Amino acid sequence: MTLRSMLRSSLALALSFTATTALAEHPEANPNVLEIKPGDTIKVARLPEQIYLRSQNDPDDLIWQRIPTYRTHVLPAPPVHPSVGLRFDEGAMRGKHLYFQVARTSERFYVRLHWKDESEDRASTVDQFSDGVAIQYALNGTDTSYMMGSGPEKPVNIWYWRADKNQPENLAAGGFGSTTLLPEQSVTGDSLYVSEQIALDNEWQVVMSRPLEAASEHEVSFEGGIVPVSFATWQGNDNERDGNKRVTHTWILLDTGEIASGD
Amino acid sequence: MAVKRQLSMVLDLNKCIGCHTCSTACKLMWTNRNGREFMYWNNVESQPGLGYPRDYQQMGGGFDAEGALRLGRQPSQDDYGIPWEYNYQEALMTGTDPWLRPNVKPTWGANWDEDQGEGDYPNSYYFYLPRLCNHCDNPACLAACSRNAIYKRQEDGIVLVDQERCRGYRYCVNACPYKKVYFNEQISKSEKCIFCYPRIEKGLPTACAQQCVGRIRWIGYRDDEEGPIHLLVEKYKVALPLHAEWGTQPNVFYVPPTSPSKYASDGRTLDEQRIPLDYLESLFGPRTGEALDTLAKERQAKAEGRESELMDTLIGFKHAEMFKLS
Repeated sequence: MTLRSMLRSSLALALSFTATTALAEHPEANPNVLEIKPGDTIKVARLPEQIYLRSQNDPDDLIWQRIPTYRTHVLPAPPVHPSVGLRFDEGAMRGKHLYFQVARTSERFYVRLHWKDESEDRASTVDQFSDGVAIQYALNGTDTSYMMGSGPEKPVNIWYWRADKNQPENLAAGGFGSTTLLPEQSVTGDSLYVSEQIALDNEWQVVMSRPLEAASEHEVSFEGGIVPVSFATWQGNDNERDGNKRVTHTWILLDTGEIASGD
Repeated sequence: MAVKRQLSMVLDLNKCIGCHTCSTACKLMWTNRNGREFMYWNNVESQPGLGYPRDYQQMGGGFDAEGALRLGRQPSQDDYGIPWEYNYQEALMTGTDPWLRPNVKPTWGANWDEDQGEGDYPNSYYFYLPRLCNHCDNPACLAACSRNAIYKRQEDGIVLVDQERCRGYRYCVNACPYKKVYFNEQISKSEKCIFCYPRIEKGLPTACAQQCVGRIRWIGYRDDEEGPIHLLVEKYKVALPLHAEWGTQPNVFYVPPTSPSKYASDGRTLDEQRIPLDYLESLFGPRTGEALDTLAKERQAKAEGRESELMDTLIGFKHAEMFKLS
């Protein structure tokens, strides 16, 4: 059984395979970063009202040092189209750590993501693909199923950031191949590529945010309750796009708190 | 892929003079702006040659013998050639630059190897091969698109990229073995020949066919038994698809080029065509020899003053008979 067929046939196998490589890849276990397993619930942090943000989506803002950071593992997405399946190679089998922070004010909802990437791929040309990251929210609350999409009756809202544009797209989808740009582009964002002495430590930092209030039925509502989320990253220099990506393999649950009451 | 009707084009390579009027017509109409500058939805290349994009015949794509999609190599900007402009304003008008020069160093472009061909004098040879999207029965671009953004119209079989659905994944560029889908970097979407469908819908031929000074192009529906396509492809079988082995079932057909006899070293003419038959067969398949024989026979008939329906058609007396769009 090849690695490729293993990936295609069994999600569980892929999960067990990458679990063994996870630690070796990340010897710097940071005790201040909580590891989140799929199915875990985390609470959305609250930004104090008097806090002044230099700019709305500054990934380098000091405030982020005071917000809990979580770590999750993103793994190759099971291919759902021959074009995707044909392109999975051994390199893409490796998992990756994605760090995230979620916070809100009384008006806005923020997500900050960061992950290691030794190459800064900003160009989207005839033969170059750019780095990207996405947050997917299930629209029907916890009444959802498979995170790779399960049809129009279980829709999702996606915030998709790509390095070449730097302006996130607000998308909705209901099953494979149905990703659609929403008429209301309410999500804003910004990014920072931090270069270190050792390229392996280079890092993307991305912040995306949106007003708390949903502009349409296709936008996720943060007005209290549990919102299932999942994440995806695209590695431009591995020609990743579309289903060639790494994803969290099950939903992580966001406890958005009692936002509706405006506490 | 079954469609109600299929538009098709036949190009007679014996009549192509390599003037690029077709490419120019296409470019002026569709691709001289907005990120499409490097694209030639229609191009004319010299064969034998590397073609456009460079060495596309070795890039892969299409389908294997079992009908499964094959991966290809993604062409680079250099493979297409980076379009350059000249500093006319600075060199000729304001005089701020003493030299008239291109703004990028030209290292490759479409037709970089124009008229080079193969062979040694007096047996050197080449011919022109105009290429456009084949609007295939089994389009690899369509099969490769994970978004269902590419579709084939029921009414005429034209293959189009839905610009609303396209998200610029470039699987189609990779999958098309003819490399006739292009990625527009400016809008991050893929684009291709649209067989001038806005003109077709008005009963007009494509710009490349209308403007062709050599009158080498016929357009019509495959199922029109009175039309030129049926006569050339089905009845006389002189028009053949390019690289049928790639499995996409093209709807553009070529009348293969005849050539004069080869010379022996003492100057005698040999009973052998100057363009090697096995080379032509590598492009147009095993029936190339039969097509060339038919052409020779019919041409002889015309030369002897006998009737030849095939030659009368290939001459292309009237546009109205070359383009049957109803």
